[in-house]
Formats: sequence, C-alpha cells, structure tokens
Amino acid sequence: MEMINALNVLNSFSLAEIEVGNHFYWEIGNLKIHGQVFLTSWFVIAILILASLAAIRNVQIQKAPSGIQNFMEFVLESLRDLARAQLGEKEYRPWLPFIGTLFLFIFVSNWSGALIPWKIIEIPNSELAAPTNDINTTVALALLTSIAYFYAGFSKKGLGYFANYIEPIPILLPIKILEDFTKPLSLSFRLFGNILADELVVAVLVFLVPLFVPLPLMALGLFTSAIQALVFATLAGAYIHEAIEGYDEEHE
Amino acid sequence: MDTIVASASVIAAALAVGLAAIGPGIGQGNASGQAVAGIARQPEAEGKIRGTLLLTLAFMESLTIYGLVISLVLLFANPFS
Amino acid sequence: MFDFDATLPLMAVQFLILMFLLNQIFYKPLNNALDERADYIRKNQTEARERLSEAKELASQYEKQLAEARKESLQIIAAAKAEAKKIAEEQIAEAQKEAQAKREEAAKEIDAQKQAAMQSLEQQVDVLSRQILEKLLGPELVK
Repeated sequence: MEMINALNVLNSFSLAEIEVGNHFYWEIGNLKIHGQVFLTSWFVIAILILASLAAIRNVQIQKAPSGIQNFMEFVLESLRDLARAQLGEKEYRPWLPFIGTLFLFIFVSNWSGALIPWKIIEIPNSELAAPTNDINTTVALALLTSIAYFYAGFSKKGLGYFANYIEPIPILLPIKILEDFTKPLSLSFRLFGNILADELVVAVLVFLVPLFVPLPLMALGLFTSAIQALVFATLAGAYIHEAIEGYDEEHE
Repeated sequence: MDTIVASASVIAAALAVGLAAIGPGIGQGNASGQAVAGIARQPEAEGKIRGTLLLTLAFMESLTIYGLVISLVLLFANPFS
Repeated sequence: MFDFDATLPLMAVQFLILMFLLNQIFYKPLNNALDERADYIRKNQTEARERLSEAKELASQYEKQLAEARKESLQIIAAAKAEAKKIAEEQIAEAQKEAQAKREEAAKEIDAQKQAAMQSLEQQVDVLSRQILEKLLGPELVK
C-alpha cells in the first residue's frame, strides 16, 4: 500500500479520494469480512424487497396494472424474455429466479454505485461503493453460477453429464475442463473490472475537473453497468443451457 | 519497495492497458461496421442487431478490462512490493 | 484488492437468501399474475369471438328471413296483379261479347224490319201498279 502514496498525490486532496483496496473490516469470531460491501448490499437487497412487496401488495389481475405493479411486471417480463432467449421456452421457468435475481442484484448494485453518492457517508478506513465493486461479491456470484450449471447438468442427466466433456471429440477434454475454471474467472473479473474501472475513471475525472466534465462518463458508466448486468445474466443462462442441452440436441 | 520494481510495475501497468486495448479496438470497429452495414441492408432488423451488437461490444470490452485489472493489481495490490 | 475472506461465502449465502425471498415475494406472485392475466385475456378473447360469431349467425339468419319475407311479398303482389289482370280481361271479354250480341240482334231486327218494309212496299207497289193499270186501261181489262 505504500505504492499509492509513492505513486500519486491523490490522497492528499480531500475533494476526491481514490481508495482501492482499503476495507472497513468487521470481525465475526475470527473471520474478517468487508463491512462496506455488506452495508451497500443490504441497501440493494432492501430496495429489491421493498419494490417487490409494494408490487404485490394488492395484485390486480383483471384490470390493467398501474404504478409499481406495472413497473415490476415490466421488469419480470423482461427477465422472462432474457431467460427464455437463453434457455428456451420449456426450461426457463425453474431457472428464472436465479437468472432474474442475478440480473436484478447486479443491476441495482451497479446503479446504486453510480447514482448514489455513497462517498458522502463516512465510514472508517474505507468508503462505500457498489457491492459489485468488491472482488468477493463478483467471485461469489460467479461461483454460484458455476454451481448452478453443474447442478443443472447433474439434475438433468445424472452422471451422464460428464459425457458433455468428451461429446464432440474427446481431444477437447482438457479445454472443456479448463473452461470450467475460466468461466467463473472471466465472469467475475469482467464484472469487477468494469465496475471498478467506471468508478475509478469517474473518480479520476472528478479529481481533475470537479464540475460537469465527468457527467458524460457517468452516463457511460450507467450504460456499461446495465450492460454488464445483462451480460452476466445472459452468460449464466447460456452456461446453464449448455449444461442442460448437450451436444447432440443442440445440433438437431 | 524497490525502485526498480516500482518503475517496472508502472510501465507494465501502462503497457497492460494499452496493449489490451488494441485487439478489442479492432474487433469493436469491425463489429460496429458490420452492424451498420447490416442495418443499412435491412433496416427493419435494427433493434435485434443493436441488441446483439451491444452484447458483443461488452464482451470485447471485457478483454480490455482484464488488462485493466492486471494494471490495477500492479498499481494498487502489487504482489512484489 | 484481491483479499478473499469470509465476505465471499457470506455474500453467496446472502444472495441465495435474496433469491429465495424474491422467489416468494416477486417471481411467484407476479408470474402467477401474468399467467392469470394471460389466461383471462385469452378466455375473454375466445368468449368475445364466440359472441361475435353468434351475433353474426343471428344477423345472417335475420337477413335470410327478411329476404324470404320480401320474396314472399313479391310473389303475393305478382299473384294479385295476375289475378286482377285476369279478372279485368274476363270482364272486358264478356262486355265485348255482350256488345257483339246486342249489335247482332239489332242488325237482325233492322233486317227484319227492312224486309217487312220491303214487303209492304212491294204490296203497295202491286196495288198501285194495278190501280195505275186500271186507270190507264180501265177496270175490265185488268182482270
């Protein structure tokens, strides 16, 4: 960490601070956890749950929905389209909660990081940011995705799932095994890198020119965050579909 | 920290982002050009093409982001310091 | 920056809890709502379609009846017209016949009277010619 002090003078300004890698540690037993990540993720979860509760407070079926119910139904329709596009009409229903929640959680996290001035709230030793700004979160989500597609494959085909590894030609076996590691790696790094890069770019620009100039980049950041959430959910769906379908059926 | 390590890390970080931007830049240009050609040929498919294009651009973008992650590691979490 | 610790599994657990919660309060109810609404709309649509076809059927039936009634009335009118024509023709023919008969009768009477007049004239001619002869020749010669 002396690197930061050695390399830049950013921390000597109070207007905009760039902190990477400092955490607000909580200790539970002898486990260390990143408190700032949990604080913001609870906020995100609270938003999602409150919106859902408001949407289902009195569900109207026979009339046209209005207000928050309408909005959440629109969200749900989009999620269904997303999952259906990847998994197909027959299979998407049981996986809708997983893929949909991935999208919602990442999307709301990213946008909360971009839209809410977390940095105003002071916490010791670190600063609040989007939960997806922390590698732990993204790796957790990516590993869940891995588990999800293994679970999908095994529950659908049992041990026959391993046939997927040697299906087209057995020579691809090492690559297929390698893929199982690169999938979560690329998923998590893509999300983490994009969000961190957005926040860093905005922070650097705010540090250089505090007014107005960072606005276009913030808008770009919003756009990128939304796309990244979409990409994460789409890829999760694609991986699960790959595990369910197998080589033969895919090419029929 | 060693000055040599520090300077090498800074150079490597710059190179990581710079080099990682080349390939995706070419690829994104190609993809966008083809997408524009596709829209010009078939304007009614614009929505679908745009959606796919954005998704592909995000994938290519992530290649640069990998380089950026490496450079961030070198700058902020240098394993050799 | 890359310090993995207990945040990772806790985040995963938290995410799973969020997923189950949202499944209960978001996906299930709203999915049901969407499906039910789709069913409702489909049912209403089929119902409306049925009603529409029913109405169309009724309308066509009415139209058919109307056309039939119109045809019938036309037929009745035509029949009445034909009958009237026939009656008129009959009466005309009868009147003509009667007139003919009267004319013939009159002609016969005229003929008869003419003949009678001729006869009486001839007698008178005879008598007169005799008287003329008597006057001219004298009564003795005439016999």
